[in-house]
Amino acid sequence: MGHAWRPLAVAFAFILLILIVRIFVVPSDFMAKNGDYKYQWHRVSNEKDWKDFPVGYRGREFCGQCHPDKLEAINKSKHRKVECENCHVLPEAKKSTHPVNLQKSYKYKFIIGINKTRHLCLRCHQKLPYRPSVYRNFAKPVEFKMQDGEKHNPGMPCITCHDVHKASFK
Amino acid sequence: MNRRDLLKAGLVAVAGMVIPLNALEVFDDEAKAAVKAAIEMVPKKRRWAFVVDTRKCVGCGMCVKACKMENEVPFDADVSRTWVERYVVLKDGDVLIDSPKEARYGYTKNDPMGREIKEDEIAKGFFVPKLCNQCEKPSCVQVCPVGATYKTEDGVVLVDRTWCIGCGYCIMNCPYQARFFHPVYNTAEKCTFCYHRITKGMKPACVQACAFGVRKIGMLNDPNSEVFQIVMNERVMVLKPETGNEPNVFYIGLDKIVR
Repeated sequence: MGHAWRPLAVAFAFILLILIVRIFVVPSDFMAKNGDYKYQWHRVSNEKDWKDFPVGYRGREFCGQCHPDKLEAINKSKHRKVECENCHVLPEAKKSTHPVNLQKSYKYKFIIGINKTRHLCLRCHQKLPYRPSVYRNFAKPVEFKMQDGEKHNPGMPCITCHDVHKASFK
Repeated sequence: MNRRDLLKAGLVAVAGMVIPLNALEVFDDEAKAAVKAAIEMVPKKRRWAFVVDTRKCVGCGMCVKACKMENEVPFDADVSRTWVERYVVLKDGDVLIDSPKEARYGYTKNDPMGREIKEDEIAKGFFVPKLCNQCEKPSCVQVCPVGATYKTEDGVVLVDRTWCIGCGYCIMNCPYQARFFHPVYNTAEKCTFCYHRITKGMKPACVQACAFGVRKIGMLNDPNSEVFQIVMNERVMVLKPETGNEPNVFYIGLDKIVR
């Protein structure tokens, strides 16, 4: 074999090696779906991986199974569009105080608790000059209740006077 | 050439012509059917689309909290699949745009960009929720060197975490800054329209968490869906149309200062 052919043989061997490794490394369902190499060139089973991702937020019906009284109260109130989990999921809590172990019994992902801080209420109800003053998610628009957190009984938890589930005074 | 030779040569020639004709007959009935099915399958494009009514948004940030919890993006990390921006225009012409902590704690103070602003200085202001636009022509997908990000048949752009090498091209190439590195997996991460929920008939976590009816999701080509009705009948706009990405997230009440 001539000296010019030897490196060429090495190059071919290298290409062959890559092709062999490829058989083992690339998943068998890696393909261009519908022949679309531009946008659908992927491992097809990954679509199922995303579909199987566990659901976290369950909605008010899930909570209502054990708390029908609370569900009924809030469904009658002006807070009826607010999901239980908006307020009761505690992102920074380490341990649940919920009497039933939801993680074990329902594979529930979050830690449930009661957040009594003013900040939680002020997320929606703090008066801001650019916050919409009319609530438009009911059949008839209503005036949106806003308070200045620095002037309206500062330091006191809102729930001292207000019942959140009734969206009115206690 | 005598008659015998002519007949011999003639037979060989005919036989030789027949064999290639048979060999070329690839398109038997089954093959034809498969091709036909593929042509018919070219989908009547099913498209998930999203409508954001910015006029109703109060900036409570419950959508951001819900999204971070649902999709297991660490709550303390300063990245999020969806976020809410605050736009404040002052009477002297200044525009203040911010999104502190992606609004995961909501807006409870009048302090755009950390500045104390008096109420009578403000000309106008509003909140704009943002998320991945699930573009029709996603520029993030085109640049992926390994095929780790792709568009599903119903128009949602997803990332394959097992296949992503973390090069970050897609993060740089998204004109909406909707992508980021997941702090745990160290792969590209983005909004999936809660693909695990919409494929089960549920609404995305942010849509469910919004008490103000800002966020809506539906099939863009289903005449019965609310999204179809809004896109067809109301004045909607997309973000940065000049990029040619053709977003599937439509906004009501956008202003020219929104970027």
